[in-house]
Amino acid sequence: MTTTPPTMRTALAAALAEAVDADPALITLGADGQALFQGVMARHPRRYVDVGIAEANLVGVAAGLARSGLRPVAAAMAPFLVRRAYEQLRLDVCVPALPVVLLGVGGGLGYGPLGPTHHATDDITLMSALPHMSVHCPADAADAVSILRSVLSSGGPAYVRLSARQDPPLPAAASDGDPGTPRLLRDGDDVLLLATGRCVAEALAAADALAADGVDAAVASVTTLHPFPGDAVRALARRRALVVTAAESLGPGGLGDRTALTLGRDGPPLVRLETDHRYPPVASHEDLLHFYGVDSRGIRSAVLGRFTRNTRKA
Amino acid sequence: MLHPDELARRARQRVVELAARKAVHLGAALSMTDLLAVLYTRGLRYRPDRPDWPDRDLLVLSKGHGAYGLYAVLAELGVIEADLATLPGHPSDSVPGVEAATGALGHGLSLGCGMALGARLAGRDQRVVVVTGDGELDEGSNWEAAQFAAHHRLGNLVAVVDRNRLQQEGDTENVNALEPLADKWRAFGWRVAEADGHDTAAVTDALAGLRSGDGPAVLIAHTVKGKGVPFAEGDPAWHMGSLDAEQLRTALAALGAPAVPALAAARGDRP
Repeated sequence: MTTTPPTMRTALAAALAEAVDADPALITLGADGQALFQGVMARHPRRYVDVGIAEANLVGVAAGLARSGLRPVAAAMAPFLVRRAYEQLRLDVCVPALPVVLLGVGGGLGYGPLGPTHHATDDITLMSALPHMSVHCPADAADAVSILRSVLSSGGPAYVRLSARQDPPLPAAASDGDPGTPRLLRDGDDVLLLATGRCVAEALAAADALAADGVDAAVASVTTLHPFPGDAVRALARRRALVVTAAESLGPGGLGDRTALTLGRDGPPLVRLETDHRYPPVASHEDLLHFYGVDSRGIRSAVLGRFTRNTRKA
Repeated sequence: MLHPDELARRARQRVVELAARKAVHLGAALSMTDLLAVLYTRGLRYRPDRPDWPDRDLLVLSKGHGAYGLYAVLAELGVIEADLATLPGHPSDSVPGVEAATGALGHGLSLGCGMALGARLAGRDQRVVVVTGDGELDEGSNWEAAQFAAHHRLGNLVAVVDRNRLQQEGDTENVNALEPLADKWRAFGWRVAEADGHDTAAVTDALAGLRSGDGPAVLIAHTVKGKGVPFAEGDPAWHMGSLDAEQLRTALAALGAPAVPALAAARGDRP
């Protein structure tokens, strides 16, 4: 009998209930999406506020609650939280650096065949442009719980991109230790695969395939994108002939951008795999990752296209 | 405590003197001056000597472009000591007495909802007053907040609409009609009162009448944009502007202000 690992939503529902138990200043808000708050609603019904389908008001109310001394955790579907409430996020929460935690469910391409209205490959870019905002993209449920605990104790505005559905299983190391620094999930001498969120599983699968190709690939996951753990990424890239980043995000402000800035011209060659503005086909999350070239096949191809035995000798 | 009429007169004088030094949203600052004067002397539980008193009522100026009108009142009360010309053109957290940074329209009511709900959850007997413009009510986020406040029966939330009937490009009813405005608030579940927004006794009574009751309340205060400065009253051209020396002299005379020896200096400050 196999056990299905928890989704980010079920894992966070339990973690949020525990956090509300422990901190009387914590209050949770949703926008007609209650899955994350089932535990809070059961144990502390007054500490969950549903604003209905009204993301701008969700963020404004959260800011008002923060100004009254509470510590709000507000969640909505990522595309609507980020795009519809962007001015409230910027002016009401981030400029005054209020302690509001924002959970975006279904960031990236997680809603698959629901189409571009529901895709949020721009969430990391937009949230990274906000003052004082920390931006996080966990790779599985345990990682999401780890980052939630971290941002709840940090005090400033934070955005956590959550997946919409079941995540592929990852090794326990993907959620061990400080979520603010990259985790090395697989060592390898030749190339470094640096991935975030759902693409971590893709990078691990790519590394397996590359081993059969004779390429020894290291895989590291990056959960916290802002502030970017530049020193740790620089250390991981050292002595490797190629770095490939993979993220289901647009380029600006994302993993590739930050890695490029960190490594500079003196670092190893960098291939950035990320999404673009092509109109997506009607397809599953996995097929969309392939369409934009950020799946395991895309990562493997990028490595094989750049990495040869000559590269290794150099 | 000053009578609100005298507080408003002095605050208006500060606003027009400032407008001789820099461009300000003159019309919007002057239409709400009497409302703020009543609120800070009679409507809010507020101690000017302790602007951070934890038990104070909170005022959010959603129509943030009226900032200098708010600053002028707070300066008369001694809360703000800085030269108003050095303060930001929209309420910011750095300014004493400012409860929430505003300026992009349609944000204040949601902030006020959160503050009112937070006070209730904390068991604090605290009221939150949100002063909105009327043109600002074009922004849909206000109505998200209005629905939310009624749903949560936020009886400690009061909106005051500065109904001066002018937005930047003219009559609100010509740009994007708001009427029947009182009916809209009622339909959203709010208690509604209306008053002449320049009659401080009437505003005081209307606010007192809204104090007790179930759910949020709104005062629609009928005002004149640019009130107190005859050539600016009701003229959308004075949405934002600065005064030349002659205009300043006329404005001060209309406000019953003593002649200002700094007039020449004020003129000299202008670029």
